[in-house]
Amino acid sequence: MKMFGYWDALYFVYAFIIGLIISYILMKWGEKASMGTRRVGAGTKVYLSGEDEDEVIPNFEHIQGYFIGRHVMWGLIRGINRVFIAFRREHTGLLTDYVSYLLITVAIILGVLIVWG
Amino acid sequence: MNLLPFLIIVPLFGAFSMPLISFLGKRVRDMWAVVISAVTLGIAINVFYTIWKTNQIIVYTLGDTTPLGKGVSFPIRIVWEVDLLGALIAVTIAFVSLLAIIYSLEYMKHDTGLDKYYTLILILELGMLGIVITGDMFNFYVFLEIMSIASYALVAFRNDTWEGIEAGIKYMFVGSLASSFILLGVALLYGQYGTLTMAYLSQYITREPTFVSKVALAFILCGLLFKSGAVPVHMWLADAHPAAPSSISAMLSGLVIKAGGVYAIARILFSVYSISLNIRTLGWIIIFFACLTLIVGNAMAVVQTDMKRLFAFSSVGQIGYILLGIGIGLAAYGTDVGHVALAGAIYHTVNHAIMKALLFLVAGAVLHEVGTKNLNELSGLARRMPLTSFAFLVGAAAIVGMPPLNGFASKWLIYESSALYNPFLAAIAILGTAFCTAAYIRVLFTFFGKESEKVKVAKDPGKVMIVPMVLLIIAIIIMGLLPWQINDSIMLPTARMLEESGEYVLAVLGG
Repeated sequence: MKMFGYWDALYFVYAFIIGLIISYILMKWGEKASMGTRRVGAGTKVYLSGEDEDEVIPNFEHIQGYFIGRHVMWGLIRGINRVFIAFRREHTGLLTDYVSYLLITVAIILGVLIVWG
Repeated sequence: MNLLPFLIIVPLFGAFSMPLISFLGKRVRDMWAVVISAVTLGIAINVFYTIWKTNQIIVYTLGDTTPLGKGVSFPIRIVWEVDLLGALIAVTIAFVSLLAIIYSLEYMKHDTGLDKYYTLILILELGMLGIVITGDMFNFYVFLEIMSIASYALVAFRNDTWEGIEAGIKYMFVGSLASSFILLGVALLYGQYGTLTMAYLSQYITREPTFVSKVALAFILCGLLFKSGAVPVHMWLADAHPAAPSSISAMLSGLVIKAGGVYAIARILFSVYSISLNIRTLGWIIIFFACLTLIVGNAMAVVQTDMKRLFAFSSVGQIGYILLGIGIGLAAYGTDVGHVALAGAIYHTVNHAIMKALLFLVAGAVLHEVGTKNLNELSGLARRMPLTSFAFLVGAAAIVGMPPLNGFASKWLIYESSALYNPFLAAIAILGTAFCTAAYIRVLFTFFGKESEKVKVAKDPGKVMIVPMVLLIIAIIIMGLLPWQINDSIMLPTARMLEESGEYVLAVLGG
């Protein structure tokens, strides 16, 4: 089956641009979430473990002020982890929790079905 | 001869004869499990080929030749109704189950109570097969429970650790809750319409779409989203799947969440509700849960340190893609975009079953040889277990969606259709893949990193465990090299058959 017309490729450009914007927001989030990372100023350091409280890492002085992919990757992992930890605090693990998740799901579906179904 | 009933009879006979066969010795018992599952695969292929060739839905009535009652024009008996989708999933179930059983021969060698293990694994298989062939709501529920109860027991099969028992009990409690939601939905439909045959229900609901039918759908859909591991009802999956023996994890992640989850969602929405309710709304409900699922599932995978838990969360993420395909298939019903999205979802269902089975078998091999699944302790495994690492590499590349492997073909169809339907959805799908890639790259770096103390004595497992992995690798590569042929000859006709709910109804009611 042929899906594409000549101009339909533009959809991908569109999707790509939205992807870029989302990636940029994620990158900013990752950057912020990677602890101790500052791009300028005295505290700038290469990001290694995320737990490092040192101002400057010995032998890595030459990369001071640069912001590398590892910052983002670690920041992303850390950021996601923090979000989920926040959720986990609300989760007791009791059966009532699961009942409430199921009921919320039913409520969402039923609400949408009643209004637009 | 119609072989359809044997799809249930053979594994049922195999399961219940297993305790007797076990008296003949361990080897006979093991061979019996392999033979039974191989015969089941043969039957599933035959059923699929028959439907594919004739392009006709097979209807089988239990205890009679016609589903209609004597002197009345409506069905009164339990009906099994198989279209291409049901048959395709049945082949996938039988194929992966056979490989899981072969793998178990060595993997479970040191465990005791294996007669119970093989009995349960065959019951699990027959439960799933029943779900994909039935055309009756209550029969569907019964098979769903057969499948679920077998999987609760299998998760807790290794009862020497607390992990398995805790996960098994948790899975059982919350799984039963979800099942009761489904049962409540089925009861509401029966109370309102007085029938359980899906085809007849579809006709009835179309004629009289009541509020009760919507409430019933909400309960059933919620239960099925739970069974498929969709967010926000996915919590059980990440505990249950890693705690099971790896051969069972392969079946749970590869098959159970497909047969009891996404297949059932597609069947009920397309075959029962698609005409009576606003199909766009139905589509957007599924798309909403799909987007949540594919972001949360893949993002959670990134932060895991337990390899099997990472794979389990990745399953949640991949279910998101399948749901996205189904959702767009509904929302863009009747257009090429919807058609391709649905074909992509079906393709990805089969692909993910194969890829995830391979990855869990790899995890099993690692656990078997090294004794840990903690990623922090598995560094440098590739040098000691080259074959297993290669299998992981293929599985991970396929699940991330690298061409020319099978994951690329199906994900491409989903990206393509979502980009055309709504570019924002495509961006979300691609974002999910970015997380998925990050998660698997972490495992890859672990495998190919500096050798740690723990892996120094590891070696590749024996042939019996390697063979299923090799077969799955071959399947991944073949399905990846012939994507358009498979798509044109199998997936698109399957999607078309699922979309034509009128034919599904007519196959039972005649006319």
